[in-house]
Amino acid sequence: MSTPTGTAAQRKAPHSPTRTDTAKARRRSPTRVNPALYLFPLPAVAIIAFFLVMPTLQAFQYAITDWNGFSAAFNYVGLDNFVRAFTKDSLFTNALTNNLKFVLMVVIAQTAFSLILALLLTKNSRGSILLRALFFFPTILSSVSVAFIWKFIYDPNFGLANAVLGGVGLEALQGSYLGNNAQALYWVAVTQVWFHAGQMMVVYIAGLQAIPRELYEAAEMDGAGRWQQFKSITWPFVAPATSIVVAYTTVQSFKAFDLILGIAGNPPKQSLDILSTRIYSTFANSEFGYAAAQSIIFMAMIALVTWLQRRLLRLTPKGE
Amino acid sequence: MSQISRRQAIAILGALGFGATAAACAGPGGTTTPGGATGPAAPATGAVTGKVSFAHWRGEDKVVFDELIKRFAALHDGVEVVQDISTSNDYNAQGLQKVRGAAIGDAFATFRGAQFKNFTEAGIYSELKGSKAAANYQPGLLTAGQSGDSQLGLPYQVVFPMPMANADLFDKAGAEIAPKDWDGFLAMCEKLAASGVIPISWPGGDVGNGGQLFNCMIANNAPVDDMCAQIEQGKLKCTDDWFLKMLGQYKDLVPYLQPNATGTAVEPAQNLFSQGKAAMLATGSYHIAAVRGLGAAFPIELVFPNTSDGNGKFEGAYNATFILGVNSASKNQAASAAWIDFLSEPENAGYYANQTAQHVAVKDVEYTNPDLKRLSPWLDKKTALAARFQFQNLDVRNAVEASATAVISGTSPEQAAEAAQKIVDERI
Repeated sequence: MSTPTGTAAQRKAPHSPTRTDTAKARRRSPTRVNPALYLFPLPAVAIIAFFLVMPTLQAFQYAITDWNGFSAAFNYVGLDNFVRAFTKDSLFTNALTNNLKFVLMVVIAQTAFSLILALLLTKNSRGSILLRALFFFPTILSSVSVAFIWKFIYDPNFGLANAVLGGVGLEALQGSYLGNNAQALYWVAVTQVWFHAGQMMVVYIAGLQAIPRELYEAAEMDGAGRWQQFKSITWPFVAPATSIVVAYTTVQSFKAFDLILGIAGNPPKQSLDILSTRIYSTFANSEFGYAAAQSIIFMAMIALVTWLQRRLLRLTPKGE
Repeated sequence: MSQISRRQAIAILGALGFGATAAACAGPGGTTTPGGATGPAAPATGAVTGKVSFAHWRGEDKVVFDELIKRFAALHDGVEVVQDISTSNDYNAQGLQKVRGAAIGDAFATFRGAQFKNFTEAGIYSELKGSKAAANYQPGLLTAGQSGDSQLGLPYQVVFPMPMANADLFDKAGAEIAPKDWDGFLAMCEKLAASGVIPISWPGGDVGNGGQLFNCMIANNAPVDDMCAQIEQGKLKCTDDWFLKMLGQYKDLVPYLQPNATGTAVEPAQNLFSQGKAAMLATGSYHIAAVRGLGAAFPIELVFPNTSDGNGKFEGAYNATFILGVNSASKNQAASAAWIDFLSEPENAGYYANQTAQHVAVKDVEYTNPDLKRLSPWLDKKTALAARFQFQNLDVRNAVEASATAVISGTSPEQAAEAAQKIVDERI
């Protein structure tokens, strides 16, 4: 236990103000400022209110109605729309299942593929730079263009995929691709990975180029092999990038609306229906209340999955 | 300017937020009468002048409409018609929201079925019964624009959602182009296949175009003419014998479709037909212009896959899309109605038809387009109004049609029918 030091007068002297004291003082004596200063955030507040707060709140309100989107008449139905989505709508649960499958496939494939690309192309040689540009190229295309390009690649009659297989004598592997319900989602996942892997490769390359070369030199001198170097040096440094890549890819694949609609047409068949396309179909079917409920479920799901990932994938460099 | 405290400032911002919340919580639907629409009354009369917005989805017809607009403007001083064109998907999904406030769409078009019903319920149509325009139409082709006793819309185009046929390939194969029954249809396919061509090119990967064949397949199978409406209401079921029989007939078609038909988009299907690799394209007459554009020079006929045993009620199927209407919320109804009247005159309708290779429901039209001329006899045949547009719920429609696609890809008719019925049951 510490012993008070100094004179009694010193001990009675007012102590230095704590945070609580400051807060109290602020409340007692409000800071006077020029009100004009408070006008500056008003445009931002108005924009946020109109374009974010109001639509979000409206979505919550519509979600508890049976509003059809245009009629003045509607009823409040409580949580019926939410219950319906999970208990009486196999199209919604089918889209949910497809979406989770799609996210899982794309996250695993895209993370692995973009990391491999980055590892192969991290050197600043002329060839690497050219290849990086090539792999990054799909990212600058619009998703609708990508969808149409791949729709024709997959076409069973005139498509490039079957033509190449036929050309190398692998006719037995030629297929219907998008016409095969059991496989269609995988083929769209391939397109999604092709589309975005270049972008994620750039994130990894940035992480890789930040690794001090000396570490590898020291490891080589110590006789560490390639795998040992990757495990002990590369991975700890690119782990935070993986966290970003996984989170970004997850959100991106949840919302692969335009790619799916471009490849599969509107409405997509059941084997390609994901949550965003299902919500669109429900809006188009004049069920605004129900579609709003589906949107809220969708939003909650993305938030939950992203949060879970952040919790589970706390990939930080060693020492931090 | 007096100074305010931070607390006051926060209070003001809070009030703004509360205001936004309160505004957001205003009931959906807005005003009691959407967009100020007043329900079906005849369009207002007056001077034909001012600006008319014509909302539709047929971008491919823009040039033809531009010419018609020029001709209309030449008849009326000071009138201006502007085309507000969306894609068909957008128009299907958002047409009502766009048109109901009459910011666009003083005159507009709708799809038959769910969209026409939605526009009707929203009170957007004016009453056109007894109008100068309505008198120009073939009475039997006006039904798709009627609601109760009212003639709210004028079904402008007439399309035949039946397989188009390359008549040269049929001649070469010695195949009957107008089979009287299902066995005759299959025999025809067999002859075509034996001659070395794909009998039917079917875009099974495209829900919209692939679904048109359904109109033919169901017409003579169903026990009633409003079969799809009754399926949606739960009165008829996909698991009924007649529906299973139809799915069985779809299964019969498998050997005569191109390989991997369920993965074929509409453009490759059109290519197979226009290149002479397939004898039929199972979409409809609305694709004539497209296949001509792809270089098809052969004579085109229509073939009805007659699923009956020879005593079928119908000889074909037709549809009336592009239903013209005058917006009841329009501030320029006189000019809008005059524009619809103008389009409905035989000379102008004929110009539209011949330039776009689409038949029209307007009577006394002279078809000069060789394809339309050849196919004009179909306008007088006993054709069924395309049944798939009876569905008001798009999920139900897609599920029921998907049962046919599932059969083509190898699912048994019973399983496919059960899967479709499950979704129908959920929507009832």
